[in-house]
Amino acid sequence: MKRHGIAFRLAALILSCAFVILAAIVAYNYAYSRAIILRQSETNSRHLAQETASRIDSVLLSVQKVANNIAYSLEDASLSREDILNLNKRVIANNPEIFGMAIAFEPYTQEPERLYFAPYHFRSGGRIAFTMLGSPDYRYFYMDWYQLPKELEQAVWTEPYNDQGGGGVVMATYAVPFFRNQDGKKVFAGVVTADISLEWLQDMLDDIRIFDTGFAFLLSRHGTFIAHPNRKLIMNHTIFSLAEEMETPEFRQVGRDMIEGKNAFVRIDESIFGNERYLFHTGLEYGGWSLGVLFPRSEMLAEVHKLSNVMALIGLTGFALLALVIIYIARRITRPLTELSQSALEIASGNLDLMLPEVRTNDEVGDLAGSFKVMTNSLKEYIANLTTATAAKERIESELRIAREIQMGILPKLFPAFPDRTEFEVFASIEPAKEVGGDLYDFFFVDDTHFCFLVGDVSGKGVPAAFFMAVTKTLLKVVAEKGLDPGQILTKVNADLASENESCMFVTLFLAIIDIETGETRYANAGHNPPIHLPCGGEPCWIPPFGEPVAGVMDGMEYSTRTMTMAPGDILFIYTDGVTEAMNPEQDLYSDERLMRTVAEMPERFAPALVKTVNDSVAAFARGAEPSDDITMLAMQFCGKCDK
Amino acid sequence: MEFSSSKHGDKLVVTVAGRMDAITAQEFDTQCRQWLAAGDTNVIADLSGLEYISSAGLRSILSAAKQLKGAQGSLAFCNLSGMVEEVFVVSGFAAMFTMHPTLEDALAG
Repeated sequence: MKRHGIAFRLAALILSCAFVILAAIVAYNYAYSRAIILRQSETNSRHLAQETASRIDSVLLSVQKVANNIAYSLEDASLSREDILNLNKRVIANNPEIFGMAIAFEPYTQEPERLYFAPYHFRSGGRIAFTMLGSPDYRYFYMDWYQLPKELEQAVWTEPYNDQGGGGVVMATYAVPFFRNQDGKKVFAGVVTADISLEWLQDMLDDIRIFDTGFAFLLSRHGTFIAHPNRKLIMNHTIFSLAEEMETPEFRQVGRDMIEGKNAFVRIDESIFGNERYLFHTGLEYGGWSLGVLFPRSEMLAEVHKLSNVMALIGLTGFALLALVIIYIARRITRPLTELSQSALEIASGNLDLMLPEVRTNDEVGDLAGSFKVMTNSLKEYIANLTTATAAKERIESELRIAREIQMGILPKLFPAFPDRTEFEVFASIEPAKEVGGDLYDFFFVDDTHFCFLVGDVSGKGVPAAFFMAVTKTLLKVVAEKGLDPGQILTKVNADLASENESCMFVTLFLAIIDIETGETRYANAGHNPPIHLPCGGEPCWIPPFGEPVAGVMDGMEYSTRTMTMAPGDILFIYTDGVTEAMNPEQDLYSDERLMRTVAEMPERFAPALVKTVNDSVAAFARGAEPSDDITMLAMQFCGKCDK
Repeated sequence: MEFSSSKHGDKLVVTVAGRMDAITAQEFDTQCRQWLAAGDTNVIADLSGLEYISSAGLRSILSAAKQLKGAQGSLAFCNLSGMVEEVFVVSGFAAMFTMHPTLEDALAG
């Protein structure tokens, strides 16, 4: 796993919390302001549409008023042709919203000799043009704008139409009938029309911007498009035919509602225009028209998006600032730690004189730095003490080692010890314990035919035991060479050792003297482990102890001598308790039984081989456990006339 | 090595258990000095719980016996068995000291 420092973890933890909190605030704010803005946008668009509707209505109303006034004034039959033309022209000049105005009379009414009398003033290229309507090709009596008011006897708005008679544009016409008194009766005398150019209406609607791509459109009372940014639709399509073409049946319902002059806010699914839109529609007061305002939802929400962008920006900036501050603080806290850690590593590698980095903060890190200083000083002191102690210990150890070497040096180590002697074979080994111990062995001729050999074990360990051992060995040799019996030798040596032995040290000894011509062996035992007699070709057996005590303790002890005869090939195996009391790691003893078994199972009965076999067996048993006592063995093989 | 002791008349019976080797032998010596300080000079050591005794152990017994003897006291042993008995016989300690097969015999003797 990648390792992250405290600074990183601290920053990560705090920043993720801060991020969650900031995100929650921004999200809540977004949702809340979105609702407000949506409501506001809906109201705005409603107002806008209504305002537009009012504007159109006011135009229509003024057109209506003008036409009504003219119709009223035309009821005066005394008006001359000139008056009528002037009136007509003045109206156009004074009312920019009116495209054109016709005053159409019933045949032969104004001028008895004329079938057609319909002066028409209209706008054309920035001027006011004039024409007289009516010709065999344009019999205006049959036009809607003439017929409808005449029959209904009231003012009407015609359906928009493409005028062929005069203006040559697409227009909607307000037509007002006027009457004259004839014989006391009101008689229909003609129609006054005021035209509105749909072009002009469209221009007016074009000025209304609803968000970015929103637009307004007008439907006639039959659902025909009167105004729409897409001018191809005007007069060519109804909302129903469009619904058919776009395969959007829901528009039919919208169209029906609009024609009925209903007022509604409709959501339009994104499957129709590719984005979600809103349609607000309202009926106009005049002409039976209705106004629709269509705009994309996204634009309505643009404010919301702008707001949330700003909020996200503020949030991110705050987050970044917070991150910088936290990282700065975390670094400030951990920098001394890092420095301390590096110093600690260097101290660990042994440089105790390293100056610790100065940490002045009065906090936990400062405490740590203080502790480090104390630790370094303690370590220095400790190491100084240890160095002194170690030097002293090494000196003592080296002296002990030298003592050990001297001690070992006084034991005969060269084998075969008597290569020119065929009568016997003697072999001994000592496996010294780590501590200085007190085992000893020796062999020497006391005269030409008598050969003395012995094994001893001084109680205890260390330098005192080594001294005691050296003294014992020297005494033994000196006394033995006087030609005494083994028992007498031990009695004498015991007396010498015991006389000045305040420390209660003692030594166990087995000493034998063999006549190398006859094999007769005399021996004495001072508390030593029973040796093994291994007859040539027979079963080995213990040489039983006499129960005579260890040497060096009691003055005046008498030791007895016993005699046995060794046949050629017989081996006498003497050892110390380092053999039988060798321990394995489970602290089990090697034991007498195991020793006897090992000796009995020896295939080749030869003194050096016997010592080696027992040594190997003990080592295998101990399995590497440190020997606590010297392991000493001596094997004496009598050969006589037997071949070696 | 563990010690426990109890008074029987003028005799102090000390039960020794465990291993008496080079490392623990010193304790026997120390204990002996405490008996002497308390005025107990006639000591019977019950060795029934002793598993092992090394030459260092024998030496501390010798040392203790010497101290007790110096104070006109005595040191006797009872309940020896196994390896410990063998060591006592081999080393001649069985001949040097008063040995009893059981504690009852020791108290009677």
